[in-house]
Amino acid sequence: MDIQDLYDWTCNVEPRLSERQRTIANEILKEIRTRLKFMLEVGLDYLSLNRPAESLSGGEEQRIRLATQIGSKLVNVLYILDEPSIGLHQRDNVRLIESLKELRDGGNTVLVVEHDRDMMLSADWVIDLGPRAGRKGGEVVFQGTVPELLSTDTLTAGYLNGKLDTYEGVLSERREGNGKSIVLRGCRGNNLKGIDVEFPLGKLICVTGVSGSGKSTLVNETLQPILSQRFYRSLKEPLAYDSIEGVEFIDKIVDVDQSPIGRSPRSNPATYTGVFSDIRQLFVELPESKIRAYKPGRFSFNVSGGRCEACGGNGYKTIEMNFLPDVMVPCEVCRGKRYNRETLEVRYKGKSIADVLDMTINMAVEFFENVPTILNKIKVLQDVGLGYLKLGQPSTTISGGESQRVKLATELAKRDTGHTLYILDEPTTGLHFEDIRVLMGVLNRLVEKGNTVIVIEHNLDVIKQADWIIDIGPEGGRGGGMLVAQGTPEQVAASGKGYTSRFLAEELSRN
Amino acid sequence: MDKSKIIVTGARSNNLKNIDVEIPHKSLTVVTGLSGSGKSSLAFDTIYAEGQRRYIETFSAYARNFLGNLERPDVDRITGLSPVISIEQKTTNRNPRSTVGTVTEVYDYLRLLFARAGEAYSYLSGQKMVKFTEEQIINLIINDYEGQKIYVLAPLVRNRKGHYKELFESIRRKGYINVRVDGELREVKPGMKLDRYRNHDIEVVIEKLVVNEKYRHRLTESVALAMKQGEGIMMILSMPEETIPGRPEPGVLRHYSKRLMCPETGISYRDPAPHNFSFNSPQGFCPKCKGLGYISAVDEDKVLPDRTLSVRKGAIAPLGPFKNTLIFRQITALLNKYDYTLDTPIADMTNDVVDELLNGSDDRIKVQITGINSEADAVFMEYEGVVKYVRSLQQQTDLSAAEQKWADQFAVTSWHRWIFRTSMTGPVTWSRV
Repeated sequence: MDIQDLYDWTCNVEPRLSERQRTIANEILKEIRTRLKFMLEVGLDYLSLNRPAESLSGGEEQRIRLATQIGSKLVNVLYILDEPSIGLHQRDNVRLIESLKELRDGGNTVLVVEHDRDMMLSADWVIDLGPRAGRKGGEVVFQGTVPELLSTDTLTAGYLNGKLDTYEGVLSERREGNGKSIVLRGCRGNNLKGIDVEFPLGKLICVTGVSGSGKSTLVNETLQPILSQRFYRSLKEPLAYDSIEGVEFIDKIVDVDQSPIGRSPRSNPATYTGVFSDIRQLFVELPESKIRAYKPGRFSFNVSGGRCEACGGNGYKTIEMNFLPDVMVPCEVCRGKRYNRETLEVRYKGKSIADVLDMTINMAVEFFENVPTILNKIKVLQDVGLGYLKLGQPSTTISGGESQRVKLATELAKRDTGHTLYILDEPTTGLHFEDIRVLMGVLNRLVEKGNTVIVIEHNLDVIKQADWIIDIGPEGGRGGGMLVAQGTPEQVAASGKGYTSRFLAEELSRN
Repeated sequence: MDKSKIIVTGARSNNLKNIDVEIPHKSLTVVTGLSGSGKSSLAFDTIYAEGQRRYIETFSAYARNFLGNLERPDVDRITGLSPVISIEQKTTNRNPRSTVGTVTEVYDYLRLLFARAGEAYSYLSGQKMVKFTEEQIINLIINDYEGQKIYVLAPLVRNRKGHYKELFESIRRKGYINVRVDGELREVKPGMKLDRYRNHDIEVVIEKLVVNEKYRHRLTESVALAMKQGEGIMMILSMPEETIPGRPEPGVLRHYSKRLMCPETGISYRDPAPHNFSFNSPQGFCPKCKGLGYISAVDEDKVLPDRTLSVRKGAIAPLGPFKNTLIFRQITALLNKYDYTLDTPIADMTNDVVDELLNGSDDRIKVQITGINSEADAVFMEYEGVVKYVRSLQQQTDLSAAEQKWADQFAVTSWHRWIFRTSMTGPVTWSRV
């Protein structure tokens, strides 16, 4: 039962109860109703209560917690939210902003870290940090009200008032593609209503729709498993469909999702992208290493030899607290550096292997500018807007959006075949306009080479740049699962069907 | 001090460059900037960290021991800070038992609602379950059985194996004369016992009487006693010889209980408590999947993908072609027993043999073990079967990711629905009008 149905049930059940039951149930029902009502307000009507929490997206989970907080009715609290608009269609975003305003009007201060245009424009106060990322950032570029912001010429203001935009070249030029396409017929998984969908190849395709409309079911649960089974003998079963045509036109599929790149603190962007092997090789070839006969394993924090044995290369120690959660303390022997003293004595350009792991990718790009093998791999990380991550940042502290971009970068560093199909689920998560521009540049380059990119996205800056839009909906849950519109952004905007067309038309007219 | 604002002076966390920021109270403030420009450093590492630190400082030194010392954020001064609650996206909860319902706590309320205001229906007859007081039971009996001769019974054993010698002895010592064993009335004799390998129902006959308003006192005592012996449940059996129209059929049992009970089949439950509705509690979850909703099993078609192959050629996918290992020796011995060889295609074997190959057998088979580090050349051992072999590998926790994947490919995960279960009876469905 989804939350909307449950809410209706709790509202209608009372007259059907006996006097005794009503007395008992009264308070409980009231409590259930308020909780559910807040969940409806933040746009989660399509979830069901037995949906496992691990299958929720980060945005959904955050909104659930938000709903619980609004329900608590505290005052004078400072709420800090990290990008609540992630995964929200424009329509749901409006609802979210309303609930944040409600929280504010209840006497609280709400501080939101956000990139969303509407959220910024609804704010009472804006703090813009920058001007660039990492070392070149960290300054207050602007603080004040929205009208004041719009009159300045910061990057953010530029995007907000339309002086800058997230695309290069002419927006209305759409690629023709290669005339071939993959056609999926009779998709019936979850809420899909037996729809036939055509994915034209050689284009940037954007699948849109409100939360819960069936976008992910179509792409991640149907199309992707079919193709993975075909190419990689994958075991994941696709959801129900009748037939598929056109698989022969592609020869590789790359799925870049938001699942974590690793759940172990020993995994990090450097190990995931494989660049760490190259860095270790570089250290091995240093004269100092040769004198000491160090092998690559010496510079790994995962095998004994070079790592700090006190903490086993973790950099910290876990202290078990019995009935309390474990506490992590930095290892007192290596002081969190993960290596023993001898290993750290080997330095490249004055930096030890631990110093390299502690570098941000931006710093590493400068540092390794003369080492092409390493540079190529970390340059793509910078290209997808991850310059601020540290090479050795444990993957447990990397967000879903960041994981996705790490994966994307890893794929980009490999050679593409020119007939590859890339699937990305909300790649703009956590990205500022400027980062989106960079990312779109990367995706466009892939398409230019003949590849196909399918993006599930809510961000209008991405949608308007697509060559082809597939809009699923019109509503979430049972009210969705139909093909509302497809075509170029102009065609979809002109169709007047569904929520996407309306917001897209506004966006296109702004340009 | 300006009380209408949060004022941050000299923030230097991470890449922040000694910045000063003001945030008006009761406002919706957006912090924006490029990825990595320091938004999170300001919002989380400075403002949230300081708020959290100040909160924790209010605890006693002893309590702070357990919380770990929060580092002071690198900032000169923050004034006007109110209590901080952070709503982050990062999910730390990767437990399959955590659901939307448990996170929002709506589930807890629903459990309470079903337990306290729900009505129970029998899973066998679909009838609404009822609950009586002793007084009501007596009135019902007098009403229904007026003038009839009845037995008042208290159930002691329900569908359990055993010879119950001690039970009969203690019944006899308590002074009861008759028992009803598996539907048959018998006299309790010294040294009486039952077939220990069969399931039995045993009730003790508390009283034989003719129901009449003037014996109400006697009936009241008997009912109280029966309730005590039967732990809240009692039965009435009317004498078989008399048939009165409109009355309960003679010889038919009726159940009465102080607990929730189905009047037709007599199954009874304890009063529902919220934990009965929890899929995380042994009192509530499905015993097979332990409330996870899915179980993992080994798929025979994946273990034997091509039945035209022989064992030697690799018919058993998890094991591959013949190698000189113990499990292949066992299989050789097993096949020899049925006059097959390693070269017999699976399709030519009888289903019984294939089943034994997969699921093992209890019989000990003679296995040649020459060459496997042993002095004896043959031993008798049990063969556990390929399925169990794969399962045991699957459940080993120290498998590498690749090994885990290998074992998982022979498994199917099947979903199954939660059924709720009380500790004393079979699966129960509690429902609500």
